[in-house]
Amino acid sequence: MQVLFRIPGALREFTGNQSAVRAEVEAGANLLQALQALFVVCPGLRDRVLTETGETRRHVNIFVANEDVRYTGGLATAIPAGAEVSIVPAITGG
Amino acid sequence: MIDSMIGQTLDHYRVLAQIGEGGMGVVYRARDEVLNRDVALKLLAHGALDKVGPGHLLHEAQTASSLSHPNICTIHQVGETGSDFYVVMELIEGRSLSDLITATGLSMEIVTRYGTQIADALAHAHDRGIVHRDLKGSNVMVTPEGRVKVLDFGLATRLDTEEISELTVSYTSLESKLVGTLPYMAPEVLRGQKGDHLSDLWSLGVLLYEAAAGRLPFHGSTGFEVTSAILREPPPLLPSTVSYGLAAVIQRCLMKERAGRYQRASEVRAALEAVQGAALQSRHPSEETRGLRTLVLRGMEHLTVKNGDVLLLIGTNKGAFFLRSSRDRSRWDVAGPYFHGQGIYALAYDGRSDRHRLWVSVNNIMWGTFLRSSDDFGRIWTNPPEASIRFPAESGASLENIWQICLGRDDEPEKLYCGVEPAALFESGDEGESWSLVRGLYDHPHRPRWMPGNGGLILHTILPDPCNKDRMYVAVSAGGVYRTEDGGTTWQARNNGVRVVFLPEKYPEFGQCVHKIVLHESRPERLFLQNHWGLYRSDNRGDSWQDIARGVPSDFGFAMLMHPHDADCVYIVPVESDEFRCTPEGHLQVYRTRNAGGSWEALSRGLPQKGAYETVLRDAMSSDSLDPAGIYFGTRSGKVYGSRDEGKSWKKIVEGLPQILCVKAAVVLLDGAPTTKPNLKSKIPKRWKTARTKRVRRGKSG
Repeated sequence: MQVLFRIPGALREFTGNQSAVRAEVEAGANLLQALQALFVVCPGLRDRVLTETGETRRHVNIFVANEDVRYTGGLATAIPAGAEVSIVPAITGG
Repeated sequence: MIDSMIGQTLDHYRVLAQIGEGGMGVVYRARDEVLNRDVALKLLAHGALDKVGPGHLLHEAQTASSLSHPNICTIHQVGETGSDFYVVMELIEGRSLSDLITATGLSMEIVTRYGTQIADALAHAHDRGIVHRDLKGSNVMVTPEGRVKVLDFGLATRLDTEEISELTVSYTSLESKLVGTLPYMAPEVLRGQKGDHLSDLWSLGVLLYEAAAGRLPFHGSTGFEVTSAILREPPPLLPSTVSYGLAAVIQRCLMKERAGRYQRASEVRAALEAVQGAALQSRHPSEETRGLRTLVLRGMEHLTVKNGDVLLLIGTNKGAFFLRSSRDRSRWDVAGPYFHGQGIYALAYDGRSDRHRLWVSVNNIMWGTFLRSSDDFGRIWTNPPEASIRFPAESGASLENIWQICLGRDDEPEKLYCGVEPAALFESGDEGESWSLVRGLYDHPHRPRWMPGNGGLILHTILPDPCNKDRMYVAVSAGGVYRTEDGGTTWQARNNGVRVVFLPEKYPEFGQCVHKIVLHESRPERLFLQNHWGLYRSDNRGDSWQDIARGVPSDFGFAMLMHPHDADCVYIVPVESDEFRCTPEGHLQVYRTRNAGGSWEALSRGLPQKGAYETVLRDAMSSDSLDPAGIYFGTRSGKVYGSRDEGKSWKKIVEGLPQILCVKAAVVLLDGAPTTKPNLKSKIPKRWKTARTKRVRRGKSG
């Protein structure tokens, strides 16, 4: 199945300036597997979204449809067919 | 039989020489005595026939011989002679694709050009119901003219489940044909299904990946590992040189779920043609030649740096600013902010070996910390897709920040070091291309007991001994000073005599919150130390430390700077206390010793002495290498002060910057200039002038 990823402006340098990237993902994939498919296509995204230990960076929020995955199982969240995945920087600053 | 083929005649083919050998049989160059042309004659091994029966293979080869396509090796004839079965084919002069693929992969243009032709060949065959079943680099020939020819259509024998299971167990011991085939096999084939046109598209994906990356997507040291990777692992990231479009094509070919793949070879061909077209349109000479280097700044006024100029690199919590001046250091151009909005905790200028490279650690609160460099004073920056400094997976740590970028010794121009948070040392032996964690320090038994200070648990200072390649000092907050005498394999705490105020034990072996250490290359055995309370000197490479805080308003402070030419001269900027980390009583004063800590003098001419509650952080003071030396520092309130007379008098160079985290000064020697260290006497004009470039506009940064 295809998953549409919404990419924030700061990371478009790594998507050929695309604001949305489609990646082919195995049916029944979870978020981590879907992200891995995205990272094959856009390698620069991996280290900016995940840490070396494979966790989502503290100030990066990921939404499947409109749900923040923090509340739906994190990277194990299932991706329903046709769902959009949004990568969004958190409200932070200093 | 096969050994004695040369010189013999099969039908009307005279065998001339052996030109190849594989699991399927031996390939000869042969002369077609009727048509007077050279052909390739493949004599099939008996084993190949035993599996499926000669009748089946003959049928498949005959079907394949019906294919006529410029990218498919034409089969002229198939036949049997006695017990032997042979195939006569077009003789192709050229090299196999597997021979052409280099360790770094082929260019995108070549990959898409070859890939389009292979996909076209598959489309032609699939339309006629013929499946390849063994597409791999050694089955694709490339002629000197760049034409691709796919060999052995339909000739692959099908492996049965038992053979596949044998293959996965004893990968390395099997005959070369199977070893070469396994990494290209589609998941469904490994599960025992008959290969079809969709498994050919998978193999094409593997081949494209291998051609683009220079390595196979699924590999392992045993057949089991390879099989497991094919069945379960996503393909590893492609190198950043592979375009988004090509990566997307490869990824879709490599969908484990068949329904996710392209359904027809003609779709792959069309997608590759689109990638080819896009590449032709977007090709840009500067990007083409610079590989990973990414242009990130447009519409900004950059510095124009000339030979002998002094460069001031300023890192702030909201970006980097670069200043330049001619060697009289009277007028400064300011460019920036570079990396708009991001924290710049470390900077370096590497002028060794005819380079003039800026290094910057860019800390983005959302997207992580990346080391970036520019070889043209800030116009073009690298932006590595993968973080070059990363903790190995088994460490369980992840990089928070890079606090120090340290050049190796002058005679090791390829060496660089970085001090990071969580406290660790990384080194590079290839000019910063690749980095590795210094395990000797990371695995030190003290490390689990180091405590984070206000800024986190950080390794912030790195001092290679200029005279001894095996000796180096690092300082950790809060862990203390550590020294290696064996090139980083083992490390010893060197804090004897350095006081700790925040532990019950005042002089522990380690755990000190050291803020900075410095040494002079002419007296490398002597070190100076600014502690979290305390000023110290060691005359024995850190073995013991003595208090030198006589005549300073406070022995609390962060910054400490060694004079570039005078081994007895050290600069500090005391702050009032741990609680009130500002200059005492609002007097901004630099203190200097010229007798190695015997006494200290305040330097305040030109510095504000009223209401100046400033803080100079640990890396925010630097010197150039001219004579008299220029001394520079930046404050947390965004002001940069400089002195061209070694601290006697000061002038504000720029103000209004964000909070200054680090300052590095350097003298730039461009190509063709003398390579010795500059020791240039400068004329000192009476007045300093500060100039900003006309307009500092916001740049886009990644």
